[in-house]
Amino acid sequence: MQSSITQHAAALTRRHFFGQSAFGIGAAALATLLPDEQAAAAPSVSLRGLPHFAPKAKRAIYLHMNGGPSQMDLFDYKPKMDGMFDADLPESIRMGQRLTTMTSGQARFPIAPSKYKFAQYGQNGTWISELLPYTARMVDDIAIMKTVWTEAINHDPAVTYICTGHQLPGRASLGAWLSYGLGTMNRNLPAFVVMTPTWSSKADAQAIYQRLWGSGFLPTQHQGVALRAQGDPVLFLSNPPGVDAAVRRRTLDRIARFNQRTLAEVGDPETQTRIEQYEMAFRMQTSVPELTDLSDEPQHILDMYGPDVLKPGTFAASCLLARRLAERDVRFVQVFHRGWDQHLNIAGDLPLQCGDVDQPGWALIQDLKQRGLLQDTLVIWGGEFGRTIYCQGGLTRENYGRDHHPRCFTMWMAGAGIKGGLVYGETDDFSYNIVDKPIHIHDLNATIMHALGIDNNRLSYRAQGLDHRLTGLEDHQPVRDLFA
Amino acid sequence: MPLSRLRTIARWRTAAAVVALSMPGGDAGARAAAAEVSFDRDVRPILSDKCFTCHGPEDKSRQGGFRLDVRESALGEADSGARPIVPGDPEASELIARITSDDETLRMPPADTHKTISPEEAETLRAWISAGAEWQQHWSFIPPARPEPPPVKLPHWARNDIDRFILARLEHEGLTPSPEADRATLLRRVTLDLTGLPPTTDELDAFLRDNRADAYEQAVDRLLASPRFGEHMARFWLDAARYGDTHGLHLDNYREMWPYRDWVVRAFNANLPFNDFLIEQLAGDLLPAPTEDQLIASGFNRCHVTTNEGGVIAEEVYVNNVVDRVDTFGTVMLGLTIGCSRCHDHKYDPIKMSDYYSLFAYFNSLDGTELDLNAKDPAPVIKAPTPPQKQRLAELDAEIARLEARMNGDWPEVDAQQADWERQFAQAAPAAAGAVNAGGSGPAAAAADATPTSVAYLAMSDWHWVGPFSADERYLRSQKQGPEGKPVRLDEKFKLATGEEVGWVRRADWADGAVHSDLPGDPAANFLYRTITVDRPQELELSLGSDDGIVVYLNGEEQLKNLVSRPPAADQEKLTLKLRQGENHLLIKILNFGGPSGFYFAAKTTLAVMPPDVLAAAQLPAAERTVEQQSLLRQFFRNNIAQSAQLDQFRAELGGLRTARAEVDRSVPTTLIFRELPQPKPAYVLLRGQYDQHGEQVGRRTPASLPPIDPAAPNNRLGLAQWVTSRDNPLAARVAVNRFWQQFFGVGLVKTADDFGAQGERPSHPELLDWLAVDLQDHRWDLKRFLKQLVLSATYRQSSRVAPELHKRDPENRLLARGPRFRLDAEMLRDQALFTSGLMVERLGGPSVKPPQPAGLWEAVGYSGSNTVKFVPDEGHEKIHRRTLYTFIKRTAPPPQMSTFDGPSRESCVVRRERTNTPLQALLLLNDPQYVEAARGLAERTIKEGGAETAARARFLFRTLACREPSQNELADLVAAYETELAHYRTHAPAAEQLVGASSMPLDETFDRAEVAAWTMAANVLLNLDEVVTKN
Repeated sequence: MQSSITQHAAALTRRHFFGQSAFGIGAAALATLLPDEQAAAAPSVSLRGLPHFAPKAKRAIYLHMNGGPSQMDLFDYKPKMDGMFDADLPESIRMGQRLTTMTSGQARFPIAPSKYKFAQYGQNGTWISELLPYTARMVDDIAIMKTVWTEAINHDPAVTYICTGHQLPGRASLGAWLSYGLGTMNRNLPAFVVMTPTWSSKADAQAIYQRLWGSGFLPTQHQGVALRAQGDPVLFLSNPPGVDAAVRRRTLDRIARFNQRTLAEVGDPETQTRIEQYEMAFRMQTSVPELTDLSDEPQHILDMYGPDVLKPGTFAASCLLARRLAERDVRFVQVFHRGWDQHLNIAGDLPLQCGDVDQPGWALIQDLKQRGLLQDTLVIWGGEFGRTIYCQGGLTRENYGRDHHPRCFTMWMAGAGIKGGLVYGETDDFSYNIVDKPIHIHDLNATIMHALGIDNNRLSYRAQGLDHRLTGLEDHQPVRDLFA
Repeated sequence: MPLSRLRTIARWRTAAAVVALSMPGGDAGARAAAAEVSFDRDVRPILSDKCFTCHGPEDKSRQGGFRLDVRESALGEADSGARPIVPGDPEASELIARITSDDETLRMPPADTHKTISPEEAETLRAWISAGAEWQQHWSFIPPARPEPPPVKLPHWARNDIDRFILARLEHEGLTPSPEADRATLLRRVTLDLTGLPPTTDELDAFLRDNRADAYEQAVDRLLASPRFGEHMARFWLDAARYGDTHGLHLDNYREMWPYRDWVVRAFNANLPFNDFLIEQLAGDLLPAPTEDQLIASGFNRCHVTTNEGGVIAEEVYVNNVVDRVDTFGTVMLGLTIGCSRCHDHKYDPIKMSDYYSLFAYFNSLDGTELDLNAKDPAPVIKAPTPPQKQRLAELDAEIARLEARMNGDWPEVDAQQADWERQFAQAAPAAAGAVNAGGSGPAAAAADATPTSVAYLAMSDWHWVGPFSADERYLRSQKQGPEGKPVRLDEKFKLATGEEVGWVRRADWADGAVHSDLPGDPAANFLYRTITVDRPQELELSLGSDDGIVVYLNGEEQLKNLVSRPPAADQEKLTLKLRQGENHLLIKILNFGGPSGFYFAAKTTLAVMPPDVLAAAQLPAAERTVEQQSLLRQFFRNNIAQSAQLDQFRAELGGLRTARAEVDRSVPTTLIFRELPQPKPAYVLLRGQYDQHGEQVGRRTPASLPPIDPAAPNNRLGLAQWVTSRDNPLAARVAVNRFWQQFFGVGLVKTADDFGAQGERPSHPELLDWLAVDLQDHRWDLKRFLKQLVLSATYRQSSRVAPELHKRDPENRLLARGPRFRLDAEMLRDQALFTSGLMVERLGGPSVKPPQPAGLWEAVGYSGSNTVKFVPDEGHEKIHRRTLYTFIKRTAPPPQMSTFDGPSRESCVVRRERTNTPLQALLLLNDPQYVEAARGLAERTIKEGGAETAARARFLFRTLACREPSQNELADLVAAYETELAHYRTHAPAAEQLVGASSMPLDETFDRAEVAAWTMAANVLLNLDEVVTKN
């Protein structure tokens, strides 16, 4: 019994925000900084028994398109709709499916065919819209999933659902689960980093919420750390005005000296942890500015990401930072690009949104690939739901709007053994119902966890009397066919 | 999928469960061998964790036709014909055969559950069956009886009965308690625990000098009497009540609810008996003749997050809101995770779906809107003036009444003028005035230059409003809604897109000539309607403003349409109405395309604008007027028309008073309350928890496995609240005392403070828990008395030093062989810095404040149209240095000073905070400008109050933060730190200037900048010490 008590205690006091110190920094070592490479090479601290099996990915980058990109204007090519302009969506297709109250009062549900031209690309002749010329160039790198679906029909519940596995606030996010389960691979940076870049559509953008990268019931060291484009890249990273690095170092040495005395006197291991965390904070003051300093990027790399790459806070800048984070073995990076909620004015706003993400997304994949990182980095692209084939608001051949549609939407994944060129699943002629191979968002999250070596059905955390799992109460299986 | 797989647990988790089980006795195996097996303590946890998923309370997923939570079933025949349990005969019991089987296809639990039963556990089950297989109710469902404190070997150590329970257990474990903490440590500990702030050096000195035997008790009494006590206690409760300053979902607009927070502080300070504290929050509105405070308290059931997202389905929002109320009730009042029964019968506890929805029926009948309308005050709300506001309003009302009485006095020459003026109405043709049941809108814009005139009158009704008609923007632009396109009927009802039915609401509060920005809905259309009655056709010039678009109809004809986007202001539109004789109907549609919405209206006329009822009175022959009408007419005439220097003066004075009153009234806060519909809404079992899947209808009933509600009590929330706090209820008092124990000792006697069910952890000291629960009830739920008892105990007073062996044996200090030691919570850390630096502005209550935070945190997530998308920090000492309790909490982006230190987002009920230790916390304490500002404040105090010598100053600084005497080494280190940095800043004057300038407070000109900078850095060291950020 004694041994399991000790193990339990170890599990409870384990600090894996940056991993527990594998070195046990002593007082003598405090004044000396660990060389960066050495610190970064510290072993990953994961839960016992994790990963459950050999992972395909060591890390993941999730490009979240918030608002619900219009799948039939981008990926889900529906040529038959052309002849049905302004025809009513057949009742046999709608099947009484619930609608948002923004359009449930509409007298008709007239079909709005995509105005955009599609063409075939890659070895398998994958159809891609003219709005995504760069994505079209990399169809052989990505697997397109046309049949992701969810139950939620409004933004707040839907995005909370796909990010935390539940429609109401209070649960742990995907990244927090990964940090909790797998720990970190770089002790100088957080295991889970979030970016919230700017966007270009003109309509009001939907809100996002810190809960989307929160830790919910998990300890808060697993929450995503925002990498900011404004002010300090990580909150409170900079020394106060008038305090230079030497003053700060002396201050930390003094704090450590006092704390060592307290540790000797009181004997609380928490004091030891605090001593280590202060050293970690000091190292972050170096490692984060190094991360965000793009001056060492050659011009041809910057060119890949497009003209916005040097504008702080753009999606392009975020993609380049995501690559730099991947290089530094940050476990999970999530980029929340807002503005995809095109109820009206698809023609005005959708091209702007695509302009934000198309080239940088392509560049990210190519850049990871040329560095040999793509093979063990999973990249995910997609929103919280799709959009309706029927028009919301005024309908012309040239412009139209689309309401929320949870029954099918398109996402893509790349890297980490994902089958490039694959188009998975099929929807009906209206991109309204799934005909073949549905992927519930729990299955999607199960797939992401699977790539990282986690059996989603076996990673649980007890809170409020329930063993919570990201993928909910019922078992969900990863989509194994996506992997080569 | 086999339901046996629904709950799967990784291996490490199994180890944790075993430890939890073994905690109370130390060694489950040994106990089992000693044949003292207790079903509740030893057996149920195994069955619950390993077996109940398929053989437990839930009917739907049951396998094999038997259940192990009910004796009759476990002893009967299973589907297979075998008997799971044969009392006294383990070998004949199929359960034992199955859990020990070598055949994988037979062995339980099945492999795919990832669960195993250890040999020790199997032995426990075998011993229990051998002993006769007695079942007991789950411990927390048996009402607590007051146990006798156990005998102990060291009776002199015990200061009160609490200590005897703790000591008996320590003696049983072969451990001894720690010595009492030194006096300085003890004073800091208890001051932090009772007020959330550290003691001052004066308080410390006084305490160290106090030689009375009861000096500590005296200090405790002083702290319990401090108003800081309520502020400190409140913040724990606000986590549980999920209090926030925004709605929390989608737009996450501002919600005005802080009077509820003030009530919580008041209630703790007034030592409101804790049962009443619970009752008033659950059902304050249902108490007989509820006081304003009791109504405010009922806001507890309105604190949950709400939404008004375009497109939401009202029924779904309604169900989500009620579910939050029920789940929070379960967690906070009963310590049960009843939320599990929303979708299926509880798998571990005897709570069925029908039980859940029977509780739902107590909470589902809100007389108000379940959608929040993106407004700060979704109904029902009350105005909750602060005491100063109440006083000011009373003063103004008295002044106004005095002036009105004088104006209404005997005044023959004015009466003569009035008789003259009235004559013209007799000549005018009586119009259809008064058709609208309207009261006075008061003098309009034209009142100032009103003169008696042969042009007779203009009568305008109050505004009437209906809305919000939510729709997509394009719809709003293109289609008619609500009352458009037909004559207005004030009794007409309209169905909103949400399914809600609304009617016209009179808005006497919308005075002309001012911007009103309180139109709900986003995006949405709202309609305003009023009548204008004139004695002859004439033109009326209007000045209009709108946020955003506006459409104006007069008598059904469109006059103006401008679908712009803008904030509202005067003179955005000018329009001349051609009024017909008699009654005219003015309908205005205000379209909101995003964000807040409002309008402006003023009529430009030289006439005194008459309200319709005054007009009606004037048109009657004098003899036919009622006394009321006479008085109405006289008042109107004297207020608006009569010419008299004396009256002019009164009018000016009265106008000033009314403006002042309106201003005070506008600043009076509202707060969300609960109010019950006259007829309760029907409640149904919702299949799989789906809002639209109605099962059988259910009435109000408490869970069948708990005692029934008193038949003499009303079967509503009030009856439920009384049931919760009744003696028969086994849970509420235990759950409450456990949370207080957790607050003071770091971990509850039941570690799972949110779960007292079968899956929760059993209490480490079951008898003590019961003793405390009964003690609280026996003393009329007197909380201050109860807490005093905790902190006076020898258990609490122990030193928190820990030897490695003891730490290894009891890392979480569950056995209490030492005093509590853990990091201060987020609020206490910031409060300590502000308090010790002399910056803190201590003022009880009031609206939330926004101390500075890094720019861009709200914008990074906020909806563009939200009224909390942009964070504007407050300015000024009075606001930015308040206690952290008062910091504004935007729930979708809570302040980093809170969230970095495990403060919850307040999106859902939390009764137990995590306590992490991260580098981000270090960065915040080192670099957050408010902490730097505090360090500078400490530097100034050190120079001013610490004496002349460096060593004396260092000692002062150390004692201020650590609340104890520094050792010689510590003092030497601090002095050296100061001197090193002094030398640095002497040679780096600009850096010194920058550092000391990093404060919102002015700095004494006479202070040497380098000295202040050096002391600032010394304080920065101390503010980051483990000892200082920890309760020792």
